[in-house]
Amino acid sequence: MLASILLVMLNLPTPVSRKVESSVREGISPLQQVFSGIGFRISEALIALRGLGGIVRENQELSAEMVRLQNETRLLRSLAAENADLRRQLGFAQRNISDYIPCEVIGRDVSGWWQTIRLGKGVSENVGENRAVISAEGLVGKTIDVSLHTADVLLISDPACKVSARISRTGAFGIVTGRGVSPRGRAVCRMEFINKNINVLPGDEVLTSGLGGVYPQGILIGYVEKVYQDSHGLYQYAEIEPKADLGMITYVFVESRGDPVDEFMRERLQEQGGYR
Amino acid sequence: MVFLLVFGSVLQAVVPTGPAMGQVRLPVLLGLVIYYSLLKPRRTALYAALLAGILQDALSMIPLGFSSFCFILTAWIISSWREEVFTRHWLTHMLMGLAAAPANLLALYLLLTQARLLILPWAGLMLKLWGSVVTGVIFVPLVCRAAETLEVKLGMLEARES
Repeated sequence: MLASILLVMLNLPTPVSRKVESSVREGISPLQQVFSGIGFRISEALIALRGLGGIVRENQELSAEMVRLQNETRLLRSLAAENADLRRQLGFAQRNISDYIPCEVIGRDVSGWWQTIRLGKGVSENVGENRAVISAEGLVGKTIDVSLHTADVLLISDPACKVSARISRTGAFGIVTGRGVSPRGRAVCRMEFINKNINVLPGDEVLTSGLGGVYPQGILIGYVEKVYQDSHGLYQYAEIEPKADLGMITYVFVESRGDPVDEFMRERLQEQGGYR
Repeated sequence: MVFLLVFGSVLQAVVPTGPAMGQVRLPVLLGLVIYYSLLKPRRTALYAALLAGILQDALSMIPLGFSSFCFILTAWIISSWREEVFTRHWLTHMLMGLAAAPANLLALYLLLTQARLLILPWAGLMLKLWGSVVTGVIFVPLVCRAAETLEVKLGMLEARES
């Protein structure tokens, strides 16, 4: 009996096995949210206790930063309007400005084989598959598996994650690939296929190039740590330190391209109990 | 049993792990499978292993059935041997953790690489094996002890003879 259940499970068609997995995930996600919430409150309380002395100073610094950012936003708005006007006059296509959906991280990959996190929002909250996920610091990854109320995110540190990138100083293009986590706990990435003739320096800023269609252009990925020359090949490659602290993130933002998930699709998913 | 396994899977998903251990997760579900294999009838142990596997697969990117297969194999082997060991002794749990955690990890690695779902260099695998040995030795006895205490308190298991 048990062997037959196992055999059936192993040979289930992919959509059916995904539906089963989705249903289990949906059932467990409220409990996961509670647990991660408790963990977050505890870590917040510890941070607050540790930094009690510096709160006033931090508040002053944040107020100054807020004023600076408000001024910058005002200036950028006028520049954006001017830019849109010029693009219209030149007959260029208008750029879509992405919205971002704030999401709480409710868990990590339970098996430890992949670099993934789970978010507490899914297709019901307009989170779709293959959408860029960012934090306040920079690029985090992309959504790979979405159910009604949860979404799995493949982090940029996973070897399966590849991001088309460019170095902001020189404009050199390359592909950023995950390299896992170093023994010190920092996520490691590598930028490959950089033209050998372009000068790349440690500290150079690496941004998303916007090519490939998943990640919008200009999101900060990280900074170049070391550059390696391949004497026999056509390319050079660089170790990248991601800006976002992938091991500690509790809140992220998922890109919403302003194309709400089809109502028909959503209803169908709700009937089926999941969406992948 | 279902409550314990669901609780265990959430705990396994939420508790962070260190990079020095190859980022292996705490073996909470494996600990529970070992516990049921040692202290419950074989049938119950095998169903617990099946459920633990479904939970682990659902909460990760592992295809459905892979973890269940590994857990069922573990439960089958342990329940065949349980007449030969002190089923409620911490040393037994520790040795079971020492053997079962890396064995499960290796079996899953083989299944996942065979299915071309995983890219992991040898160094990474070695680090994970080391991590699974350490976490298996430390956490399997703790999980077994916690499950036993809970079941004794709920009257589902007789208290140990002191």
